[in-house]
Amino acid sequence: MKMTKIYEGSHQWIMFGRDEGKPGNIVDTNQYVVRTPNRCLLLDPGGAELFAPMMAAVLHHAPVDQITDLFASHQDPDVISSLGLWDQALTNAKLHAPALWEGFLRHYSCDSIEYVGIPDNGGTIKLESLELQLIPAHYLHSPGNFHVYDPQAKILMSGDVGGSIEPPDSPVFVDNFSAHVEKMRYWHQRWMPSNQAKRVWIERVRNLDIDILAPQHGRMFKGDDVKRFLDWFDALQVGIAV
Amino acid sequence: MTNQTKSQFIAVASITSELSAVMVVAKEISLAAANAKAIAFRAGDKAKGFQPITDFINELAKETIELVTNINIYALVLYRLTVEEYHKTIAFNKFELAAKMAEGALYAESMQEPVDQARLAMQDCQRRFKKDVSQLLGQLEEVMHHARAARVIAANSRIEASQAGEYLQSLQAVAESVDKAAHTIHDNVQRCRIALSIYRNS
Repeated sequence: MKMTKIYEGSHQWIMFGRDEGKPGNIVDTNQYVVRTPNRCLLLDPGGAELFAPMMAAVLHHAPVDQITDLFASHQDPDVISSLGLWDQALTNAKLHAPALWEGFLRHYSCDSIEYVGIPDNGGTIKLESLELQLIPAHYLHSPGNFHVYDPQAKILMSGDVGGSIEPPDSPVFVDNFSAHVEKMRYWHQRWMPSNQAKRVWIERVRNLDIDILAPQHGRMFKGDDVKRFLDWFDALQVGIAV
Repeated sequence: MTNQTKSQFIAVASITSELSAVMVVAKEISLAAANAKAIAFRAGDKAKGFQPITDFINELAKETIELVTNINIYALVLYRLTVEEYHKTIAFNKFELAAKMAEGALYAESMQEPVDQARLAMQDCQRRFKKDVSQLLGQLEEVMHHARAARVIAANSRIEASQAGEYLQSLQAVAESVDKAAHTIHDNVQRCRIALSIYRNS
């Protein structure tokens, strides 16, 4: 599992992905870790197949008992089907996930982990002195969907928005936006169902100061590519399957 | 899923299937007892010896139904335990793999406790499964005992039926149906016991 530190300050952001040992027939995912001095938050920790490599990778940065928080942007298996395993490994942890999905996500087993349901209008996650904002992203693509914004690191973890399917050895950042567009087009047109939801999200996100846009699949965007992405997404017609 | 886990799931599921057949047959015995009672009543003195037998048959059917109902509840508990053991085993294997993959990591040692806990949880499930299988086998033995008793009653019924004059055929038919039902119960329960017995000492 490739590990890339994308922010280092009073806390750290680490991106995990491009897992070479992953079975070929499952979609590649990016996982993110926010590390404060004594706590650790896993963002979209991944599918059950990914649990062992992900846990092993996290152990380079934090001991098991400091993994105190998990976040699931939505209910998909590539996001959080590992929940039942984290539930048995962690003795004192919370899962921050859409309140809408609680009864569904509990099918993965969530007995010892405390389920903290995020209301539709969003909320925050406090990690020691750090406060992360939970930005509503409903219908992008899931009916109950949130992204995580860190105002200190200026990072927006954007779930499936900005996603693309890439070969395992791809770079972790977009290096040529024009060339990257075609890798994202069908993904967004097919997976995102609502132009209205897209417009509302773009308006909301344009008000945030973002250095890095970090999707759950494919490459991250940094600097001017963040604005380029928002402009491109704004102009894109989505929900093409009907 | 390992072959051992697969056969464990199949064994537990087959109990429910075999026992639902036993339940049908036990209800048939109960019906046969009611039928026999009516015939014996009509036959009066000619079937005097048969009358108390009908009560025995009815009692036996009732007890079998009750036992099978309890065993079915127990089988459900055993099924849930099998699912739990399956999950615990997966967790243990994944935790061991994570610990191995984390070799050399700064906090690799912190994985040891989850591995140990998962191993204990898995072993606890295995112990509980064996214990519950032993108890279930005991309950199945009781049903076998009832089946054997039903066959003895069927034999006595035939003797009593032979004294019943024009009611002989009707009462012999009752005895036959009880005997056939007892055979079916015996065979089905025996299959359950064979399926389960390998787990008692595994």
